[in-house]
Amino acid sequence: MLSSRILSRSFFASAVNLQAKLTDVLIVGGGPAGLTLAAAIKQSPHLSDLSTVLVDAGDLKEKIGGFYHDPPDNFTNRVISLTPQSKHFLENTVGVSLMEERIQPFDGLYVTDGCSNGTLEMERDSMGFMVEILNIQSSLLAKLRSSNAPNLDLIDKTKVQSIEYEDPEDTKSWPVVTLDSGEQYKTRLLIGADGFNSPVRKFSGIESRGWFYERFGVVATLKLEYPPFKIRGWQRFLPTGPVAHLPLPGTNSTLVWSTTEPLSRLLLSLDDDVFVALVNAAFILEDVDLEYYYKSLQEGTITGEELIQDVDFRINEKFNSFKDDSVIDEKYPPKVIDILDKSRGRFPLKLSHADTYVAERIALVGDAAHTTHPLAGQGLNMGQGDVESLIKALEKARQRGLDIGSLLALEPYWADRYPTNNMLLGVVDKLHKLYSTDFGPLVSLRTFGLNLVNSLQPLKDLMVGKVSGPSK
Amino acid sequence: MFTVSKKSLQASRNAFSPLNNSKRTIVFTAIAAFGDLLIGKDVRLADAMEKGNLHNKNGEYEHKMEQRTQERLNALRNTRPIEPNYEGHVPLWWYERMMLFGISGLKSYFHPENGENIVQLGEATALPCFLESLKRTMLLDKTGRRILQDRPNITSESLDMERLSKMDKNSVGYTYYKWLMKEGVSPDTRAPVTYIDDPVHAFIFKRYRQCHDFYHAINDLPIIIEGEIAVKAFEASNIGVPMAALGALLAPLRLKKVQKERLYSIYLPWAVKAGLNCKPLINVYWEEILDKDIDELRRELNVTPPPDLRKIRKERAKQRKQFKLKYETYEK
Repeated sequence: MLSSRILSRSFFASAVNLQAKLTDVLIVGGGPAGLTLAAAIKQSPHLSDLSTVLVDAGDLKEKIGGFYHDPPDNFTNRVISLTPQSKHFLENTVGVSLMEERIQPFDGLYVTDGCSNGTLEMERDSMGFMVEILNIQSSLLAKLRSSNAPNLDLIDKTKVQSIEYEDPEDTKSWPVVTLDSGEQYKTRLLIGADGFNSPVRKFSGIESRGWFYERFGVVATLKLEYPPFKIRGWQRFLPTGPVAHLPLPGTNSTLVWSTTEPLSRLLLSLDDDVFVALVNAAFILEDVDLEYYYKSLQEGTITGEELIQDVDFRINEKFNSFKDDSVIDEKYPPKVIDILDKSRGRFPLKLSHADTYVAERIALVGDAAHTTHPLAGQGLNMGQGDVESLIKALEKARQRGLDIGSLLALEPYWADRYPTNNMLLGVVDKLHKLYSTDFGPLVSLRTFGLNLVNSLQPLKDLMVGKVSGPSK
Repeated sequence: MFTVSKKSLQASRNAFSPLNNSKRTIVFTAIAAFGDLLIGKDVRLADAMEKGNLHNKNGEYEHKMEQRTQERLNALRNTRPIEPNYEGHVPLWWYERMMLFGISGLKSYFHPENGENIVQLGEATALPCFLESLKRTMLLDKTGRRILQDRPNITSESLDMERLSKMDKNSVGYTYYKWLMKEGVSPDTRAPVTYIDDPVHAFIFKRYRQCHDFYHAINDLPIIIEGEIAVKAFEASNIGVPMAALGALLAPLRLKKVQKERLYSIYLPWAVKAGLNCKPLINVYWEEILDKDIDELRRELNVTPPPDLRKIRKERAKQRKQFKLKYETYEK
């Protein structure tokens, strides 16, 4: 792309832009999607010569990068499930070596309905992998560092101050990005990997549609009483939102509990031991028990100790009602005995989908283009899919001698990803809505449906295949 | 077509002609003889002999009968759909459940005075969804949860009638005691639960049954039919027991006109209103509040007792005595 760097181009630029550095690709955002894209560009034989700049506001190099060489003993609380395809893409195409000892493959999912006995049991070896987001980010940073790519600039602890067109009148001119350090970059292709509130998307004028679920995801790292008998994810659909409990190496486990805003605040404010009791209750007891606990905690009519005792009593009562003890390990996750100190956090859940992912000289990837409810564990994987598809589109454009910033080069990416993402967003949205009620007839209908699906193995295989890729 | 019907008309007329008289006599005689063979005096006598009803009137025979029923019961027990879930549980097949509902329903209508019929109908109509919602009500309340944990059992022993009789005159315990004495019943007269499958549901139903007398007592309603209907309606609107609703709707059909009038104008409106306003009675831990002041409890529960039924009846009886003749004719 040296031809594009002819100085005469900036001849027409305004005075401000005279010092602007030229670059082929500028990625805003150093999250998993942005870093994967940078690493994939550098790894691709067709794209590695593109000069690439990645800008992030956080402390990428030391804080996040340091995680790779000097990981903490405990697990962090932002953990995601990586599908086999995403993992394959990261490891084989991008060439990242993730920190294997911090990854937990799981062999199935056990989904239950909190209002009835509806159950869906999916089994498959290495259906997915539980990985800390920091693991992915720091592994990508290590990869970028070790490959020592010549024309790659990682600029961290720096915010994007403004983005404008080189010629404000012409939306086909190159975008000029001004950083708060005063530096300016004029870029052939601007990538928005800058999350839900994407400044790049706002600059591009691409409309994003969606809604807030009025739910928050509460996360925490859990300590289990003993290593799980079956390494699988446990998910229970409560009327307030699904609660999921996914395995990490050893006796660790990660929790995502989506619930209403007031309840998420309540869950964060509880003492550790009370929170632990509630987590156990959420997986074993009935919805009405939780309702009672929430109510009495909010009104202050129950002490933490009383609550813990009550939960223990009810759980014992439930377990004693089984004639066969082995059912317990089959139906319920191992008991949680503790949570990691200060590992609780919450974030709002929403659905959003951009009308398009591409505009002249602009492409959106990951959360900037779409956000979803975490109930299917698809958010990060959709971003990885975006990157994979975008890389393919850019490679093809490069081979054909197209300008990689042109719509012609970018549109195949959007055409490839939009329908897939839209379907996933839609399915997850409908599932959320279907399960966020305790209206009797609907509960019996969905229970019937879930149990029916559970008894149809081919249908289950198909569903697992859709989410985790075809079986090997 | 017309001709055909004409012909058949003629044929039917022939059947009643004197010619056929002798034939009919034969038929009747045959039926009578055959009936005698089946249920005649001799046959009954033979049956009684075979069963030993005729001569063998010592204890051995009764013992034998007892043994035979036990054997039959044991044989039946092996045909149950599931293992019993608790002491005294008899699991039913779905068709047995339907039969229980049908038969006990009919029996209750014609013989409501027989407690067993009512008890069976109550269990036949106690559907799991209703019991589940009752359980929900209990689990949402602190006291209700405690009751479910403790699983208390109300008997005259657990309540200690001696102690109740010595309580403060205005206490819940004494009111209950007084009511029991007045009506001549005892807390032990409540039947155990047999046909409800889930052990927790069975406990809840038993609890509801055992507390029934307390509902009478706090409202001071007698066990004569009108009082019983009023309490049923009160329970139906407060707890939502289907049997209670059924009783409150259907039982008045059998009443006399005056009783009906009294029920519809005073007791049923009171029962429905009081039941809806009152806090869920299933969540009251009666054993623990025996020495509480009855008026305080009524205030807490938000319930006011209706006019005294026995008094109204007595007054009416007095009036009737005064205008005996007129009333007798009027009432018929």
